Amino acid sequence: MRNHPRDEAHVARCADCQARWGLAALDVDLDRVWSGVAAEAWASPVGRVERLAGRLLGSPGLARALVNTPSLVLSWILASALVLGIGVMVTRQTEQPWVALLAPALAGIAISYAYGPGVDPAWELSQTMAVSDRQVLLVRVFAVFGLNMVLGLVASLGAAQAVGITLGWLAPMAMVSALALAAATTAKSANVGVAIGLAGWAIAVLASGRGTEDAAAAVSRPALVPVYLAFALAGVGLTLWSMSGSRSTGGVTWR
Amino acid sequence: MRDDELIAEVAAGDSSALRALFDRHSPWVAGRLRRAMPAEGVEDVLQETFIAVWRGARGHRGEGEVGAWIWGIARRQAAVRARKAGRVDLTPGPVSEQSSEDIAPGAVRRADLHKAFASLGPDGHEQRELARLVFEEDRTVAEVAQRLGIPEGTVKSRVFKVRQRLQAVLRQGGY
Amino acid sequence: MAVIEVTAARNVEVQGLSQKFGRTEVLHGLDLEVGQGVFGLLGPNGAGKTTLLRTLATILRPGRGSVRLLGFDVTHAGEKRALRRRLGYLPQSLGYYPNFTVFEFIEYFALLKEMPSREVRPAVVRAIERVGLEEKAKSKLRTLSGGMLRRVGIAQAIVNEPDLLLLDEPTAGLDPEQRVGFRRLLREMGASGTVIVSTHLVEDVGAACTEVALMERGGILFRGAPDDLVARGEGSEVGDSPLERGYSSVLAAARV
Repeated sequence: MRNHPRDEAHVARCADCQARWGLAALDVDLDRVWSGVAAEAWASPVGRVERLAGRLLGSPGLARALVNTPSLVLSWILASALVLGIGVMVTRQTEQPWVALLAPALAGIAISYAYGPGVDPAWELSQTMAVSDRQVLLVRVFAVFGLNMVLGLVASLGAAQAVGITLGWLAPMAMVSALALAAATTAKSANVGVAIGLAGWAIAVLASGRGTEDAAAAVSRPALVPVYLAFALAGVGLTLWSMSGSRSTGGVTWR
Repeated sequence: MRDDELIAEVAAGDSSALRALFDRHSPWVAGRLRRAMPAEGVEDVLQETFIAVWRGARGHRGEGEVGAWIWGIARRQAAVRARKAGRVDLTPGPVSEQSSEDIAPGAVRRADLHKAFASLGPDGHEQRELARLVFEEDRTVAEVAQRLGIPEGTVKSRVFKVRQRLQAVLRQGGY
Repeated sequence: MAVIEVTAARNVEVQGLSQKFGRTEVLHGLDLEVGQGVFGLLGPNGAGKTTLLRTLATILRPGRGSVRLLGFDVTHAGEKRALRRRLGYLPQSLGYYPNFTVFEFIEYFALLKEMPSREVRPAVVRAIERVGLEEKAKSKLRTLSGGMLRRVGIAQAIVNEPDLLLLDEPTAGLDPEQRVGFRRLLREMGASGTVIVSTHLVEDVGAACTEVALMERGGILFRGAPDDLVARGEGSEVGDSPLERGYSSVLAAARV
């Protein structure tokens, strides 16, 4: 401008000079720039675990779905580890296979709270996503089961029991998890999943121990393994069927 | 709101204050940067600059003009960018090194600009008149306000809108 | 040389769609073709509007009949996934994650829609600005009012600039001023894609829709421009507005 001072301080506060300078950058997309700035101001940082999961799974959406699994939050994992830790101590004291009996139960509860309409308030919306609910199911259940399996193994080794019992809870864990998941998905309630899963396990323990009064029978008899796996497969099948989209969603009412 | 009030709000985490600062200062910072780099580079530097403003608002501490502070950040960001590309830093220094004739559009030729003005409306149409007064006749905001019989604040916001329209037209024309 | 006329595929092509729940048939052999624009879906409770929207949103598999959306066949897994990337859906009652912020919630669904990574955050910003929630971008969802939550729902539906936008009672909980802004948004989205809005508020329909359909008991009773629906109501006294009179007239005639 004609009579304006030339220094920086002036431009910084003179609307006229600023208007003139604004004309010099008409091909700069300020809206796009603002989108980038606002994103920085408003977004939350992505955790390392999520980033790694995104790379491994090849899908940032799937990674975020995994990281937000209710039964994979740190507090949940610590609680499970605590319960198993107590189980280890009790097992060593009493020589009863508490760890082997607890592990499937804990897994059943964790699986009930891993996935599905009972657990996800935005369930209906989730069913319209490109990252399908089947993918999310697979990844979450795999992760939760895997984690519970590792916890169980560590606890089992700590309990130092016979090999048969140290690993004997794996097939039962599969069964209890599958039943819990099927129940939770079908009834659209995580609590129903927990109830059915635990009830199923209790029945299995009592039924296999009856007559011998052996609490460890449920986890130490190899003959039972195919039975467990059969039930597990049935549970998986029921889960997939109830997810298949031939049923109404969101309750009984339809419009 | 005044700049120093806005900066204090940004420091307190208010992103709408950041938006206000952005709307006020990004056009002229962009203009000065445009003298030394292409539009895409300006966009990158601007984005980094205002992200730095968001993160470092507390560091301002009321020391001097906010506009000058922002320009300082922009210069530094531009220098970083130039160094990364192995180029010599060509960003304009203090304004005193520039004559007013230098304040001409970077990549936009005068002829194209005239065409863009024409698109604002027929001769005498308010937006075109405003653009002519501010950008061609070199009038101050006060003079334009008096001439058109509107408050100064209105002049400033209309200049902003005219600028956006000119930009859209120029982009459409592939300039 | 003969001139071959090619009819461009429309965004929504439904033929003979039937849906059953248990033994009740909720949709009967429905035919629907919708192109670009804003399409309103009216009808009493139980008419099948939500079931239709859920079928279009690919939540429900078509019981009988064919559904092609944006040129994709919904019964084909690969095509369904590609379709879902171009889809936006707002259910009648959208649950939310209480501890997510507005930004996190919209970003989550942008990611699940497999938007290209670089585009996700700027798109979320734009969606937030379009629904006017800039001030609340970093607020947790449990601190928001019902109307704001509705707007968050709208934002996640539009974040990927969908070619097919399905909205089930979207204006519930919005005040009149917000509804005006929302209708503007509908018109914008309808300019470049197909929007299907199911609503009870007849006035929403009149103001924003290029076409409306009236459903009852699983079928479409009326389809046409809002003005045509008004014309049907000439001479009727049931209803407080021209559109309402048209609505009641059509329903009454069908129930005879």
